[in-house]
Amino acid sequence: MEFRRGPGASDPWWGAGAKPLPGSGAAPRLQRLAMLLLLEALLLHPAYAARVVSLNLCTDEFLLLLAPEQAVAVSFLANEPSMSVVAGVARHVPQVRADAEAVLDLHPDLVLAGPYGAQTTLALLERRGTRVERLAMPQDFAAIRAETRRAAALLGVPARGEALLTDMQARLDAVRAPVVRARAVFLQARGYAAGPGSLADAVLRAAGLADAGAGGQPGLEALVMHPPDLLVTATAPDFPSLGTDLLRHPALKQIPRREVAPALVLCGGPWTAGAVAALAQ
Amino acid sequence: MTRWLALAVGCLLVASLLTGAAGPGVPDTLILWQIRLPRTALAALVGGGLGLSGAVLQGALRNPLADPGLLGIGGCAGLGAVLAFYWGVSAVFAPALPLAGLAGAAVGCAFLLGFAGRAASGPSLILAGVALSALAAALLALALTLAPNPFALAEITFWLMGGLEDRTLTHLLLAAGPIALGCLTLLRLGRGLDGLALGDEVAASLGVPVGRTLRLAAAGVALAVGAGAAVAGGIGFVGLVVPHLLRPWLGERPSSLLLPSLLGGAVLLLAADLLARAAPLLLPLHQEPRLGVLTALLGAPFLVRIARQVAPGGMT
Amino acid sequence: MIALRTVRVRLTGRDVLHDIDFTARAGEMVALCGPNGAGKSTLLRALAGLLPEGRAPDPRRVAYLPQGARCAWGMTVAEVAALGRIPHGDADPAPVERALQACGLNGLRDSRVDRISGGQARRAMLARVLATEPQVMLLDEPTADLDPAAAHEMMALLRTLSRQGGCVLTVLHALDLALRYADRVVVLAAGRIVADAPPESVLPAAAAAFGLPWGFDPSPRLLPPCQS
Repeated sequence: MEFRRGPGASDPWWGAGAKPLPGSGAAPRLQRLAMLLLLEALLLHPAYAARVVSLNLCTDEFLLLLAPEQAVAVSFLANEPSMSVVAGVARHVPQVRADAEAVLDLHPDLVLAGPYGAQTTLALLERRGTRVERLAMPQDFAAIRAETRRAAALLGVPARGEALLTDMQARLDAVRAPVVRARAVFLQARGYAAGPGSLADAVLRAAGLADAGAGGQPGLEALVMHPPDLLVTATAPDFPSLGTDLLRHPALKQIPRREVAPALVLCGGPWTAGAVAALAQ
Repeated sequence: MTRWLALAVGCLLVASLLTGAAGPGVPDTLILWQIRLPRTALAALVGGGLGLSGAVLQGALRNPLADPGLLGIGGCAGLGAVLAFYWGVSAVFAPALPLAGLAGAAVGCAFLLGFAGRAASGPSLILAGVALSALAAALLALALTLAPNPFALAEITFWLMGGLEDRTLTHLLLAAGPIALGCLTLLRLGRGLDGLALGDEVAASLGVPVGRTLRLAAAGVALAVGAGAAVAGGIGFVGLVVPHLLRPWLGERPSSLLLPSLLGGAVLLLAADLLARAAPLLLPLHQEPRLGVLTALLGAPFLVRIARQVAPGGMT
Repeated sequence: MIALRTVRVRLTGRDVLHDIDFTARAGEMVALCGPNGAGKSTLLRALAGLLPEGRAPDPRRVAYLPQGARCAWGMTVAEVAALGRIPHGDADPAPVERALQACGLNGLRDSRVDRISGGQARRAMLARVLATEPQVMLLDEPTADLDPAAAHEMMALLRTLSRQGGCVLTVLHALDLALRYADRVVVLAAGRIVADAPPESVLPAAAAAFGLPWGFDPSPRLLPPCQS
């Protein structure tokens, strides 16, 4: 399926993730690693270890970082450079929609999916004897560790999982807690402020910031009346939407702002440490 | 009556500027100028444009059920705006947003007037409008599905049910010109619409330029509705309800309803927007109800009432 | 004075009127008669300049009342009458007053035209025509759906108006009204003028045009069954 081509479409295939978004430093590194793994697999192990299909952006990212050689197909969002940390790799992997017929046609040994969406499709696949594993959406770094290990185990590459986590821990450890913890609000599309228990909250705290968000939509007026020290947004600049338009409202211009690459925080994973590093600078 | 309506507009403008999440009273300048002024002024402008367009459409089509939303003109405008917005045209050239809304509305008006010219009977015109409205909504959903931004489809409620929250001064500036121009055009049509009350032939024999009046009505409605729908989404029923509410007071002569419908539309939308803003303060709601939801809740019973008054075949 | 010479009107592929040569003068009341489909209404619309190829006359001089004219809105009688001032572009109340007076609508001026009787509504429509104070009135079936008394009243009113110097040209189905009130009866058949004469001499031609027998005893019982 021919899908949208972001501005990164003309990038060389090894560097799509290197699109110069602030805070996306982790992505090219991880992608280069994944590309090496893919090359290694193609050269040394011509037969796939297992045929894996992923139906969700977050599982696409785990699959393509941990075992790209096993990927038979991924979801269409995986090669969207503004949303995916594995866009460069995903461009070389076929795409599949969450459609039972299309998936069965690929004869996968394993289907990776998220906890929400396409549940009827997944149930159908399971009834047809296909193994389906639902990965959780990790909302903090402990959960990211657990989920990375689980994904690595499912794909039979536990050592690669540990390598990613070591890399992540190194980046988190490099963050120096500031003397004064600035109050930050992570404002998401449609004006939702991340609150306790969310991945954005975990990112803010890991970066040494105090999360002033309380969840829900605080509204422009409340934000202007009680402005945080810092506004963190993660908007893909590529294509407009009303939800991200709101974040550019002129009334918010007076609040200092840091932009992080949306791909780093859309799904929780080892790459999310890149967002922390970008904020902690 | 006109004086009372103008007074009501004034009171509601002030109330609207003084009400908001930041609490009642005179707010911080930034909130006043950047948040409440665009919202308030757009409510008045969009509402006025819709009210006046409803009165003109009803007069021109000799049909009390005519409404820019019901006839699909608003939907066509939304479709145009969606195409300009999600494909990034308006990000490069901001006036493309109202212009695209306007173009959509103009296409809808042209279709309806073309249809009205050939098959002028009331019910068939309304059915054509309903078909146009359904088509516009379907194409709008399709456009959002195909939009480059994967989250676009989630925003369909805005385009179908409208809203004025978090609009900017830019939106206000983009929409104000076309709406004002459209309203000025429509306000000058009173005499022609009066003549049309007796039928196209009598109007022509009275020296009313029938074709020109209808074309100006279409252009004016496109201007007054199109730009508004491009920045405020689909807000229905204002054009239906306002002239209907005013007739018992002002009589049914089309020209005597024009200015009052402009003011009445502004009153209605300002009040509805105020209600939408006040709802989360008064009720345990975690979100404002959508403006288009409120106008539809108010308007749908009216539609039923008017439809019951109009006997089958009684419309011409 | 209104004149029409050698027109040929083609509507939906068939000729409705051919070679009409017709003149009506001020102070004259002319009745247009003829069977259904003879082209009476088309002739009136041609005179009003409403046909695609026609040239519109000065709307202040010529007023037109179509068959079954009605108002789309529940306007008051006075408001409807005031629409007659549109060609003049003014809201002069005096001619409207006179028109209402002439049509005997003074007591109904604030009644809605959709809530009065058919005859009263028809008079309101005529008041609109009178309010223009035209020199020529083109009226298509002004007595349709009026009861006989109201129809005679209306015709008497029109005759008075013509006596005051107006030219009244009215399509009539009721031959008796035409014969009684008109100065001239023009009989149309199949798009042609077949008779144009004072009432007293037009009857044989009119009867022929309608396909009725004309003899010594025009008793209704001897007429063939009505073919409508």
